[in-house]
Amino acid sequence: MTGHPRAINANTPTGNMIRDSALGLVPETLDYYMGLNRKVWECGPLTPAEIEIARLRNARTVNCVFCKSVRYDIAKADGLSEDKVAMINDDFRQSALSEREKLIVAFTDQFLNDPSGLTEQLKVQLLAEFSSEALVHLSLVVAHFSGFSRCAVSLGGMPDELPIMEISVPG
Amino acid sequence: MSWISAGDDRDSTIAIAAELAVPFAALYQSLWTQPHVPADILELCRLRLAQLHQCAAELRRHEVEIADEKLQRLAHWDAEPIFSPAERACFAFTEVYAMDVQALTDQHAEAVKTHFGDEGLVLLVEALGILDGMTRLSLLWQLPAKAAQSHASGESL
Repeated sequence: MTGHPRAINANTPTGNMIRDSALGLVPETLDYYMGLNRKVWECGPLTPAEIEIARLRNARTVNCVFCKSVRYDIAKADGLSEDKVAMINDDFRQSALSEREKLIVAFTDQFLNDPSGLTEQLKVQLLAEFSSEALVHLSLVVAHFSGFSRCAVSLGGMPDELPIMEISVPG
Repeated sequence: MSWISAGDDRDSTIAIAAELAVPFAALYQSLWTQPHVPADILELCRLRLAQLHQCAAELRRHEVEIADEKLQRLAHWDAEPIFSPAERACFAFTEVYAMDVQALTDQHAEAVKTHFGDEGLVLLVEALGILDGMTRLSLLWQLPAKAAQSHASGESL
């Protein structure tokens, strides 16, 4: 990881953290990107707290400092506490997370670490807990935030650590 | 059909989440029409990702028409003079991105920027995020490798 940015958006700041980031250099995709980001949070069967669990697990694995430091206010309002966030670690299977939440973490890990190695056991557990629509929603959540984290890492400019920052879904 | 739904390809699977399918398709389509990195280079990067992930479903998919000679030689692009310096810079970036995004260096980024500027670098990493994600989902959903599918270009190879 590099400490200095590899691409710089020198346009006039808008106050929108995504538009003011390097992503703002490509307006041809930016509105579509932000539109999908909003829909990922607002549409689909998963709750904001469940989405945030998958997002933070991804952030931890990809090691995106920015993504790890962010907390979305709608997930907090949905009941995701810092105590629960702390359980999204290597020992999550022994944690007090619900079985549904543990499956969200397991699915995220499968996507990130071994997408072609899904076991029959995990498949059966996922199908017993989630509808097809919820599994597709979870899939797109993980893919979307994985792409965002990898984008942030690729473009550099992140410090070694950041304090926790509560934000809203960018408009 | 796949284990996750009655859909048997990526598009019909995503369509199950109806409210997400439309904005996802709009974003995906925008990758192939933006002016910063040529669509054929993005397509070659997408196919290289599919090769690295050994994803047959994504290898059978075609977004942009590519000359057969390049398709045949893509896996060994580093030793093939048919590929331009701009393509080679993007392939090198793509390979490291796929294996360990933390291992990307300033040199990888500068090589892309030499040909496509800051905007091209941003577009490439944005596109790789989406393309890598779709490749992983095709594997995770255990989608079958169907006959060649054409999407963004509207033409089949």
